[in-house]
Amino acid sequence: MHKPDHLNAAQQRAVDYTGGHALIVAGPGTGKTHTLIHRIARTIPCLKSDENILAITFTNKAAVQMKDRLMALGVSQRQVFTGTFHAFCLTLLREHWQKTALPKDFKIASPGDIQGFNKDVLERISLMKSTQLVIDPDEGYKAYQRALRQNNLIDFDDIMRETLIVLEDEHTAAAIRRQYRHIFVDEYQDINIIQNALLKALVGDAGTATAIGDPDQSIYGFRGCEVKLFHRFTDDFPGAVKLHLNENYRSSPNLLTASRQVIENLGTSTEKRRMSPNFQPVARIYSEGKLVIHCASADRAEADYVAGQIEKMVGGMDMLSAAGAQRSFGDIAILYRLNAQRRVLAQALDHLGVPYQVSAKAPKPEEYSDEAALGQYEEALDYTVEKVSLLTLHAAKGLEFPVVFIIGCEDHLLPLDIEGMKGDLEEERRLFYVGMTRARECLYLTRAGRRQLYGKTLSYGPSPFLSDIEEELKAHEAAHLRKRAQKKSPVDDGQMQLF
Amino acid sequence: MKFTADLHVHSHYSRATARNLDLEHLYLWAQLKGIAVVGTGDCVHPQWLKEIEEKLEPAEEGLFKLKDKFAKPMDAHVPAACRGPVRFMLTVEISNIYKRLDKVRKVHNLIWFPSFEAARKVQAKLDAIGNIKSDGRPILGLDSRDLLEIALEADPMNLFVPAHIWTPWFSALGSMGGFDRMEDCFADLTPHIYAVETGLSSDPLMNWRLKQLDPFILVSNSDAHSPAKLGREANLFDTEFSYRGIYNALKNSEDKGLLATLEFFPEEGKYHYDGHRNCQARLHPQETIKNKGLCPVCGKPVTVGVMARVEELADRQEGKKPPRWRPYKSLVPLPEVIGEAKGVGPSSRAVEQVFGNMLSSIGNEFYILCDASIERVKESAGDVIAEGIARMRQGKVEIAAGYDGEYGTIKIFSDKERKAIDKQLALF
Repeated sequence: MHKPDHLNAAQQRAVDYTGGHALIVAGPGTGKTHTLIHRIARTIPCLKSDENILAITFTNKAAVQMKDRLMALGVSQRQVFTGTFHAFCLTLLREHWQKTALPKDFKIASPGDIQGFNKDVLERISLMKSTQLVIDPDEGYKAYQRALRQNNLIDFDDIMRETLIVLEDEHTAAAIRRQYRHIFVDEYQDINIIQNALLKALVGDAGTATAIGDPDQSIYGFRGCEVKLFHRFTDDFPGAVKLHLNENYRSSPNLLTASRQVIENLGTSTEKRRMSPNFQPVARIYSEGKLVIHCASADRAEADYVAGQIEKMVGGMDMLSAAGAQRSFGDIAILYRLNAQRRVLAQALDHLGVPYQVSAKAPKPEEYSDEAALGQYEEALDYTVEKVSLLTLHAAKGLEFPVVFIIGCEDHLLPLDIEGMKGDLEEERRLFYVGMTRARECLYLTRAGRRQLYGKTLSYGPSPFLSDIEEELKAHEAAHLRKRAQKKSPVDDGQMQLF
Repeated sequence: MKFTADLHVHSHYSRATARNLDLEHLYLWAQLKGIAVVGTGDCVHPQWLKEIEEKLEPAEEGLFKLKDKFAKPMDAHVPAACRGPVRFMLTVEISNIYKRLDKVRKVHNLIWFPSFEAARKVQAKLDAIGNIKSDGRPILGLDSRDLLEIALEADPMNLFVPAHIWTPWFSALGSMGGFDRMEDCFADLTPHIYAVETGLSSDPLMNWRLKQLDPFILVSNSDAHSPAKLGREANLFDTEFSYRGIYNALKNSEDKGLLATLEFFPEEGKYHYDGHRNCQARLHPQETIKNKGLCPVCGKPVTVGVMARVEELADRQEGKKPPRWRPYKSLVPLPEVIGEAKGVGPSSRAVEQVFGNMLSSIGNEFYILCDASIERVKESAGDVIAEGIARMRQGKVEIAAGYDGEYGTIKIFSDKERKAIDKQLALF
């Protein structure tokens, strides 16, 4: 999207600001990473020989991409530590383990290493560890920690908590701060209280923090991330300025407007939106996009509709339906709230022979191995094969596609409220917003009159988020009376009864 | 030895194909048509490959034959005059859809295998990459060049043949989704391609106009989606009756193993002219230029056909031959000749009956079209049909050219002529 060296005025201001801490509020498609890497590159000449820059990313994959882009700007790998909080903390722990109660050869627990604790208990413990600076341990917690330590293990949450202990040692902390005077954090809307404490401890009195993110895209509250920490940045880091990037280089203007209409209805709770005039996004893509609303009778029909649309936009996949080809499979993503929605969809795509890939999991920094956490592990991505991407809305974070389908735009799915799973209303809205803002040119919002989920037939009306989008922006597309194409179309084979 | 081969067909596991497109019916129709080596088609489809392994047994090197227990029940349907050996070769077509040089590309490619082992290796690779179970001709988001690499890595004896290279929507050089140069499509691996398939809408004469095609042998196949369409185009070999014989005939530039190709009149193909099928607008390339590429009915850009596309890329005068040229014959399918002679559609009952009689009394279709004496045809099928075949052999046919997916229509006789010949007949 961006020419490697071009910066718009707001980006340039964010890159050039040298007055101390900065919080860059950057909506979708405003060149967040672009601005961040330029700001990092701009800081390089200020480094003393024994100093490094610390650049914190949300996932290892993002770290790899950032390294590549920094390298393209001529930044040496040695000058910047790029990685997740976990990766950075693990490096510190390996060096300064003496400052903790851990043995030198501690290992990172893998799932299944600790037996006898069920999933719910483990989740509860993890949530405690990521939301409470000081834990008041109950019996289950104590038993779990005992089991870990007896096996020389720490878990992923411990990596950060133990690092906080390291940083309590003033001498060690001072040395680390001297090395990393400039700290950059990406995706700041999705940090938790522990990471916040770490950042404060790392920055200290003399360091400079730059955080970048979009509070409207905070979607990990259920894991203990707190969007209020984003808004608290200027309190946590005295003198911090807030800078806005508001020029959108991703989405067509009508899609941008539609997504704004959804997010601006954000509730009046504690997270009340602080609208400042310069925060209004400005479209920098000028061609009109397409926003299609489609209601199918049932989930199967919805899936057939999606598969059929894909077939159409790839230009027909056989000679019989050949037409103008505009898209290839890699241009297209299908997003859904729950993985359980995928099965019916996959069947429909299989039926038409549409190649697809599933990214089932939201990126969880906790799920990487020791080596991975250190950022030396690169995912074996299949770059050579184009496929339609099937993603949960969570997993779609940070990605963009010319064409996006969001299926299951129904009440109780968006916002989620079924089978004992209930999402926070405001977070669900942001999640839907994240999904919408993945689209560059075409956005399809589809729903079904009834669907099978978890062995039940569910029937819900449209998602309330849909009604936040003004009618004028929507094109309603009816279901074509399109029979599920028969596997063997009855082509007359001219089989003659000759003899 | 001399033999005819049709190496691009499909199975009933491909979309829009006939239910009876199975090995037994390929065996049957290959004999009726006069084809000795026929592709299995679709051989990376797991169920189809299983069926192939179950029903075929090794014959000559790299060639397979239908086991007796499956062949026997079909033999009764083959007239004695048509009987001949039928061998199968393992073949598949892949639909590659991907972005390259900023455009969506849709290229169909054929892979031919010397052994089950080679086919299974490629099958395993493709299975890991995409969905090979939904369609006998799998759709992969894979670059053509990378597919070629997979084929070569699996077995150096695999043959990779870009399919119907001029088809507008689905080919290496097509007007709508293709490249201007073979090298743009297959990059560094282009030299590993020895042959290209010309497709129904072009003939060798047209392909000779591109110097960039000189390194390739031109092959022709039917791309049949039903058994009766087998051999619409085919290759006449004179080489060792084995996979290696065919391989060498295509690979080695000194090898004259490919004698000739049997062709459609290109005008009869579905994409010879330009136009819009839905608007019933058929445009000669000159008219297209006059209309600035737009359809006179709907005003939108027309589907540019093969004739115009060849002209666009041509860099050699018409009629000039490249160094490795092979002769070819332009044929009209026998049912169409019969239909023309009788003034009825080619799939009518009357045609079926005559067609059957001719195969029984004269021999297979290629023999009738190419080699049988006109006298012999006359004896069996009468003056008009004999005259029709004679005219076809001399190229004296009129064709309303095909366009945008619509086949061209053959005219050998005017109504008046047909009556005149009939009357002559009535005199005797």
